Amino acid sequence: MRKFLQTVSLLFFTALFVLATYKLPDWLPADIYLRLDPLLGLNAIFAARELIGRALWALMTIGATLIIGRFFCAYVCPMGVSIDFWDFLFLRKKKRLGLKAEASFRKVKYFSLIIFISAALTGLSLAFLMDPMSLLTRFYTFFIYPLVITLANLVLDLLRPLFQALGWVDLSHLHYPQPVYYMSAITLLIFGGIIALNLLAPRFWCRHLCPLGALLSLISPLGLFKRRVNEDCNECLKCQKACPMGAIPEDPKATRLPECIQCRTCAKVCPQEAITFPASLSLGGEYSRVDFSRRGFVYSLAGGLGIGFLATQTPFTLRQSKHQLIRPPGALPETEFLKTCIRCGECMKSCLTNTLQPCLWESGFSGLWTPKMELRLAPCDQNCNVCGKVCPTQAIRSLTLEEKTHAKAGTAVLRKEMCLVWAENKLCLICDEICPYNAIVFRPVEGYRRPVVIASKCNGCGFCEQRCPVRGESAIVVVPNGEIRLKEGSYIKETKKLQLEFKPDPGDDKFILEESGFDIEEKKKRGKGIIPEEKPQPKKPKGFL
Amino acid sequence: MGKDSHTITRRKFLKAATAGVALGLSSRLSFLEAREEYDLVAISGEPVAATRKALEAMGGISRFVKKEQRVVLKPNMSFSNTPDRGSTTHPLVVATVAEACLEAGAQQVLVLDHTLQRAELCLERNGIREACKGMNRVHVLALQEKKFFREIKIPQGKVLERVEVMKDLFDGSVLINLPVAKSHSATGVSLGIKGLMGLIWDRESFHTQYNINQALADLATVIKPHLTILDATRALASGGPGGPGEIKKPNFIIAGIDPVAVDSYGVSIVPWYGQNFKGKQVEHLLAAHQRGLGKIDIDQLKILKEKA
Repeated sequence: MRKFLQTVSLLFFTALFVLATYKLPDWLPADIYLRLDPLLGLNAIFAARELIGRALWALMTIGATLIIGRFFCAYVCPMGVSIDFWDFLFLRKKKRLGLKAEASFRKVKYFSLIIFISAALTGLSLAFLMDPMSLLTRFYTFFIYPLVITLANLVLDLLRPLFQALGWVDLSHLHYPQPVYYMSAITLLIFGGIIALNLLAPRFWCRHLCPLGALLSLISPLGLFKRRVNEDCNECLKCQKACPMGAIPEDPKATRLPECIQCRTCAKVCPQEAITFPASLSLGGEYSRVDFSRRGFVYSLAGGLGIGFLATQTPFTLRQSKHQLIRPPGALPETEFLKTCIRCGECMKSCLTNTLQPCLWESGFSGLWTPKMELRLAPCDQNCNVCGKVCPTQAIRSLTLEEKTHAKAGTAVLRKEMCLVWAENKLCLICDEICPYNAIVFRPVEGYRRPVVIASKCNGCGFCEQRCPVRGESAIVVVPNGEIRLKEGSYIKETKKLQLEFKPDPGDDKFILEESGFDIEEKKKRGKGIIPEEKPQPKKPKGFL
Repeated sequence: MGKDSHTITRRKFLKAATAGVALGLSSRLSFLEAREEYDLVAISGEPVAATRKALEAMGGISRFVKKEQRVVLKPNMSFSNTPDRGSTTHPLVVATVAEACLEAGAQQVLVLDHTLQRAELCLERNGIREACKGMNRVHVLALQEKKFFREIKIPQGKVLERVEVMKDLFDGSVLINLPVAKSHSATGVSLGIKGLMGLIWDRESFHTQYNINQALADLATVIKPHLTILDATRALASGGPGGPGEIKKPNFIIAGIDPVAVDSYGVSIVPWYGQNFKGKQVEHLLAAHQRGLGKIDIDQLKILKEKA
């Protein structure tokens, strides 16, 4: 039963992950697991000092835990399922090394919880480091997803001759675009480490480290269902050995209630069938107390506050405006963004073009793994607004397509010393051709048609930067200058106020008719019966003789 | 005697058979020749009716597509814009031609392009996949990977020596080019011959490495559509190739075998960027004409103009 529910949960998590694409329907919350996570919710609400609607979903988890107990870890948590799964595959028959200081290690999760919460109180979002939902979504995004696509394409390539022979046209032409992410390797190491810890004890992560588990264990003793052992118990201690959470103390009739995740493994192994999980209103006496020292509490509180204070005071964080970082359109103002973002990577997974990539140190420690647009890699497509749709804390606001178009992410700047036209008088108009908003026009300068950016029409989508044929760094780059990031309110109104217009305006293409200077033959061919429609007679556009 | 006469009979038979086949072939050719009364047909009307009529006027689709043949249709699917933007071929034109190919008994119809923008979005938004939905044996595909292309030589190439072309064009497929009429910031207009760039892998080098107009003419020497049907139901007269720009509504479907003639006529139907041009004023068309790929002077063409 438990395995079945766990499998369902992991499949559901995976399905939502797969569905998180630009096609995601508005009614489907693909980020549901992240919303249900009370630690991420608390972290974002405390750090941003703002009530976040989607984070309130976590109240459901809290309510259910208050009623049932800490069932989440055993039945729902996809991280727990993953750990159980890999453990079953590889470590089932291994002899566990065991841990001598079991009891003191158990406290670590509480310390991590206190550190994260107190850091959040200073305005530093840190829970993403160890929160299981955030961790697992990141692992899926940065590692599993690209790997699965690679393997799928490999299989398709291998089977292609067969498909061709069978005349299966669609399959023989199928190829999935390969997503790439920075930091795939680090993510694998972290996840692999979590699994490897099971060598010491089963579910090592859950019982000793997980801050979400710690949070739930604080309230789980209030839950209705509790482990009961009746008189048939012969104290064989089989249950104590089998308990994956170490929730059964020396006296097997007692239960460490905060640790018990109601997986009922103990009931299954009990030869006397003496263990049941009836509903009961009573508290569990001495074992219902959460197990950590006052000194540890004070230390971790001080640690969290200290880290938070230091991190928010680093030169990196203080000079946010000096960074060359392009955030996705709709991202909150940088300070709020860093506080609210939980680094789950869901936006990067769902990003249509794969332009969203995790930051390393670009905005300091406090910006680790936050999404940035890597526009040389791919542009931001004007038909997609999924990053905001899937953001569980709305660090990227969910905007309509039109609002998103007006959420100016930056401004393209021509680096004339690298531009083929400006620096080498070559013929190139790729940036102009690709710009969806006609923000790049050609103007005659020194006898040549040269590209110029009209800043008020550029919304920083980066098509120009991506397509620029110059090798290496682009000759036209999007810089944060002019970016608009609103905490609330309409981007359309704001851009109107600023007199920006991201509507493609064909009128400006008249500049294409200006003297090009490239067409040497033009003079020879002039007067061959061209009927000018307007006066003064403009020169011919490119490609006409 | 019996033996000798038998040998002679066989030789006679072979001679007679050869003559017969030759006669048959030539008569079939002359028969086709006789049906081809026009160099071009220009039919005005709604997309479906005009396309149907244009095919009919060209001698029927079965003139180009035989039973059990594979057909490649090459519409312009390069942009993730809706059809009203004028940057992609009208979905109904594509669907009508695909349907006609099926009626002629085509084994399969591949609707192919190497799109400029994100493929999945292009196919979704330009309406072509939707329009061809439900037609068995019609496959709308964007090929964005090098493995679907094969390098070929260009013997007559002036600037291009070789080019990687979609593999599906080989092994005896019939190629029908279905360009949309639009302006182009680098080549003046983008019609049939410019549309051939959607069949090759490395589009970028045309823009950066070579004189694009000469390279296009080179490309046209090796990729020769059996039929070109120009969708001029709308014409993006400025702001091409992606638009937005000025949309004119010539309401024309222009069809012909000669790729240069179709394009040259296409140039004449609307003013581009506010000016009237002739085919020979378009550099890549002139280059193609000079390479002997077709007629450029539309005054010398036999053109059927009709309403659908």
